[in-house]
Amino acid sequence: MPVTRQLVLPVHRTVPWGAVGAAGAAGLLLAALTRTGETAERLSLYLLRAAILAFAVGLAFLLDDPARHTTAAVPTPRPVRVALRVALAVPAAAAWWTVALLLVPQGARPPVGDITLEAGAAFVLAVAGAAAAVRFSEVARPGPPVSGGLLATAVLALLFWPGRWALFVPVEDERWAAAHDRWAVVLAGAVVFGAVCAVEPVRRRIRF
Amino acid sequence: MTAVVEKPAVSGTLEEPGGPRKAVLALALFESRRLLTRIPVLVAFAVYVGWTVWRSGKAWGDYPALQDADRATQGAPMLIGLAVLLSVNSAALRSHRHGTEQLLTVLVLPRWRRTAAHALSVVAAALLTAVCVAGQFGREALRPGAIGHGSVGELLVGPLTVLLFGLAGLLMAGLVRSAVAAPLLVVLFLFLFLFFSGMDYGAALWLLPVVEDATSNTLPSDLLGRPAAWHALYLAGLALSLGLLALLVAGGRKPAVFAGVAGTLAMTLVGGVAQSAGDSPELVRARERASVHPEQVQSCVRRDGSTYCAFPEWEPRVGDWARVVDRVRSLAGGGAHEQDVVVRQRVEARYGLSGDAALESLKRPHEVTVGTQWGGNRVPEFSAAVAGVLIAGDEKAATSICDGRIVPLMWLAVGWESDPLDALRRVRLNDTVTGSDSVLQPTDGLYMTEAQTEVLRALLDLPRAEAGARVKDRWVELTAPKITAARAAELLGLPAPEGEDKCL
Amino acid sequence: MTPTVSASGLSLRYGGTRALDDVSLRLTAGVTGLLGPNGAGKTTLLRVLATALPADRGTFTVLGHDPATARGRQEVRRRLGYLPQTPGFHPDFTAFEFVDYVAILKEMTDRGVRHREVRRVLDEAGLADVRGKRIRKLSGGMRQRVALGAALVGDPGFLVLDEPTVGLDPEQRMRFRELIAGAGEGRTVLLSTHQTEDVAMLCHRVLVMAGGRVRFEGTPAELTARAAGRVWSSAERDPGAKAGWRTGTGSFRNLGDPPAGADLLEPTLEDGYLLTLDGAGAEVAA
Repeated sequence: MPVTRQLVLPVHRTVPWGAVGAAGAAGLLLAALTRTGETAERLSLYLLRAAILAFAVGLAFLLDDPARHTTAAVPTPRPVRVALRVALAVPAAAAWWTVALLLVPQGARPPVGDITLEAGAAFVLAVAGAAAAVRFSEVARPGPPVSGGLLATAVLALLFWPGRWALFVPVEDERWAAAHDRWAVVLAGAVVFGAVCAVEPVRRRIRF
Repeated sequence: MTAVVEKPAVSGTLEEPGGPRKAVLALALFESRRLLTRIPVLVAFAVYVGWTVWRSGKAWGDYPALQDADRATQGAPMLIGLAVLLSVNSAALRSHRHGTEQLLTVLVLPRWRRTAAHALSVVAAALLTAVCVAGQFGREALRPGAIGHGSVGELLVGPLTVLLFGLAGLLMAGLVRSAVAAPLLVVLFLFLFLFFSGMDYGAALWLLPVVEDATSNTLPSDLLGRPAAWHALYLAGLALSLGLLALLVAGGRKPAVFAGVAGTLAMTLVGGVAQSAGDSPELVRARERASVHPEQVQSCVRRDGSTYCAFPEWEPRVGDWARVVDRVRSLAGGGAHEQDVVVRQRVEARYGLSGDAALESLKRPHEVTVGTQWGGNRVPEFSAAVAGVLIAGDEKAATSICDGRIVPLMWLAVGWESDPLDALRRVRLNDTVTGSDSVLQPTDGLYMTEAQTEVLRALLDLPRAEAGARVKDRWVELTAPKITAARAAELLGLPAPEGEDKCL
Repeated sequence: MTPTVSASGLSLRYGGTRALDDVSLRLTAGVTGLLGPNGAGKTTLLRVLATALPADRGTFTVLGHDPATARGRQEVRRRLGYLPQTPGFHPDFTAFEFVDYVAILKEMTDRGVRHREVRRVLDEAGLADVRGKRIRKLSGGMRQRVALGAALVGDPGFLVLDEPTVGLDPEQRMRFRELIAGAGEGRTVLLSTHQTEDVAMLCHRVLVMAGGRVRFEGTPAELTARAAGRVWSSAERDPGAKAGWRTGTGSFRNLGDPPAGADLLEPTLEDGYLLTLDGAGAEVAA
């Protein structure tokens, strides 16, 4: 525990806040577009989703650590280091999300709980992807490939995700509730996946 | 890379004119090969080709109108554009990311020339997209029933979108040396596209790279009113100015580059202004004429006594229509068997592509409407309209039939098809073959009651020759107004229907 | 001497390549050199021994701990200093902050003790004057020393150094040799290098790897002795030699099996190394 406490400051300085901040700014810009008129209000759900995607792209850079090889063999385990970065990002993400939601006019705001679930799933997925890239490859900066993968996933899911398991539904759609049950599954899956990937393997099971 | 590094070292041609230019070309080849083998680009091309092949033929079957097929090539290349944006951005930031900038800055090729090579690699991706687009369009054009004309301007949009997105990614790499910039740009692009195409901004919509008209209407190509050529000019200008700006940002401050930026910006401006001019008065008049007085622009041909009037681009399709008219008439009895009809092609063009207005039924005797699309459901729909005119005398009367005459009418409409039941399903609004449902036609539809459907189904269950003979034998009674479904069944020697026989 | 590190049967594949093929070794206190051509598996072996990469098969212990369990690995890492082949840094950190950061990761929680230790290793690495400079402002050699400082911090019992002298000028290299030799007093140091002089001057033991296998294990003198009677001088290049080059004096120095009556020369460690590789190559080919 004392190690963790002393690590907070230096780890905070190693977090690529620039990337996260730029993504956050882009996301807020998208959310603010909802205030530009009536049609924009109608599109508020999609604007919020785009904002979520933008911020998730930033979070894909969260585990970027140029000194990764230098600190590859320290006794402080990787899950602690990853968890510390995530813990530092959580308040930032929460604050960002609150601002993004407040930027959407009250009347046009989608159900807050459900859209927060979508945001949470996307954010966790982004970080879990970065953790997976760290777990399965030698890269010190998983950000660029993972953000690309995240975008590809988003685009391909939008185009080809089977309607039977619809995720991206409009508010008035009758499948909204069912879709958000699925979002909860995605979130839970991403959390488990991320947790598994954060652990450093003692044995090599999967070969790359 | 090696080619570039070695060439001057080996031959010492630093001062030789064209030396750096050749090196840029060699580097461009190298960068193109790398760009086209990046995972995002490979995935995008795979998805694009897979999607295109899977969808090909789904929209229009064997009867595409090429003025629609050209627009259908535009949406999917955006996917490639986004992948190229990401990949070229990452490639341009490669030397920065891996700290080789110091190493590379001392080489013969300055940064702006390396940027030029990256720009040329985007051109390569755009050319490959052009090949795919040409393949997609060519496949449609080679279908036996293809009619109309494609527009080069529309076909260029796909490759130009790739060029635009890629060069935007390159410029981004020059402006912001961070790997997070390009993915964010992709999110913004994705969204802005969704945002603005969702809004009704009229002419401003044309500022987007791809302008899709959500429509199922097919117009003669001269009535489309899409400023395709201007839009292609606008896109090309915009893409090239972004690319040249990227050269400027990378330090290529040559007079030619400045001139190029000015020239391409002018191109963009000219294209942008010209494309938003809106519909010209001539176009509005031409659309009005084609919609209200099609006979003024159509030419007519006679086949077996019947007259077929089509817009010039549709003349090759007269044979298909005549075959249907022939088959329908062959099933009819009495005078209808010999009745000549006038097939009039009609289109509602007054509201452009976005208009979705229905055509009104014709009142002239034995004149029947045919639309601008063909194949699939359009065939039984036209067949039903011909049958209606044969039975009721004119289209207006035919589309208000609401009694047992529906039974012989639908027999004529689908009885000649190889799979009448399937044709029946396709011609009915809800794709049903039992119960009551609406029947679609080129103009107004018909309504079939449950009882009429039952009788028709029983008729279709008989051997074809037997059914045809029974209809012809009782033709006059069957086509008398106010006949009930039960009476029709009786006349045809079929069991009395049990369902409801009340039309809406 | 009891071994501080012992490994047996370490194997690891990347796709179809055998990076490590049944490697067994024992390391004792002092500096052990690891020589081998590029792609021999040196870096892979070092990463496995530094617990940065788990092996597919085989076992090893470091200072009595088995890294095959999470707990054992933790114990090994508490006693380990690792300088990777391509160390990375947070360029915004100062040299002091970076080593301090690594020291915290090495569980040194007492601030006063830790700062003293960080200052000590920075002094040892000759970075006393640039402690407060940001890493982005440091030269390549300086950065390499920061990485060495990070490896040395906490006085680890086992030090893994992957080509630490690459890209250094002769003077810096000499400084580094001093440092490594100092580190080798009482510690076990495994030093991967391409510089045979480094090995000749620093190491009490030497390993030669090729094709993922250990081809030689012994003292530098033993490696040199492998070339005894197989180096000779001639006026022209000897066609029977496995390798030969014109030296500064104008005569040829030949390696291989000398003809009868050849003018034999005193072998160097490099001669022994090259002839060992040559034998290994022949073995692989056969």
